[in-house]
Amino acid sequence: MNRRFDRYLVYKALTLFVIWLLLTASYTPAHMALGFVASFGVALLNTDAGRPPGVAIRWLQLLQFLPWLFGRILISGLHLSFLILHPKLPIAPALIRYRTKLSHEPGIVLLGSSITLTPGTVTAEAQSDELIVHAIDGESLDDLQSQRLESKVADVFRIRKSAE
Amino acid sequence: MTALSIALIVVGLFFLAVAALGMVRLPDVYTRSHAVALTDSLGAFFLLAGLALNQGFSTNLVRILVVLALLYLLNPVISHATVRAALRAGVKPWGEDRR
Repeated sequence: MNRRFDRYLVYKALTLFVIWLLLTASYTPAHMALGFVASFGVALLNTDAGRPPGVAIRWLQLLQFLPWLFGRILISGLHLSFLILHPKLPIAPALIRYRTKLSHEPGIVLLGSSITLTPGTVTAEAQSDELIVHAIDGESLDDLQSQRLESKVADVFRIRKSAE
Repeated sequence: MTALSIALIVVGLFFLAVAALGMVRLPDVYTRSHAVALTDSLGAFFLLAGLALNQGFSTNLVRILVVLALLYLLNPVISHATVRAALRAGVKPWGEDRR
């Protein structure tokens, strides 16, 4: 255990504790203590996943990305609802391979999660730079195949110079 | 204000109903996972947004927003885990044999 590791453990536990405080309905000492123990316990169990990435988030770009993504989710959601409600159920599902140019894990995680969050497409496998995506029809894949989604995701991150 | 929150809740319920219908109509685990994505990303969003509007500024509003944020973080993880497990177990996607 080095000091850097300890610092991230504390950050993680405190974040969880704040979420506990926001969600709990009771602020008696017993409940607070329970929440404190639970937060640290969960943080301890997840020590592997806490390594800081070599990339930084550009918050302004993230603030632009999220509303854009929500707009896309709304449009694909309406499209998917149309497919489901259509009497003939005009779906044409396909598994496709998508090679991404993103070189860092946080970017691939955001890309994969955005794909899954959008109704009509879901990330089935993600290994290094290749994603396997299942789509309900060709139209759902537009944002991915035009690389619009990927370029928006790339804008959200900045690679730190100090990272290897 | 109340009318708007009722409208949002009704929109949310519409997406939830469509997602439930999709679970029945769609043919396999992959296509059904798309219906589940509809539940969380739009159904729960509009439903919770309607409830939040109804609450006004209060601790309940903060709670609803936290739940919403957690849903948006967790839904992709769960969908991805389910679909990946299906793919690794060798479940054939519907429609593959017809191409």
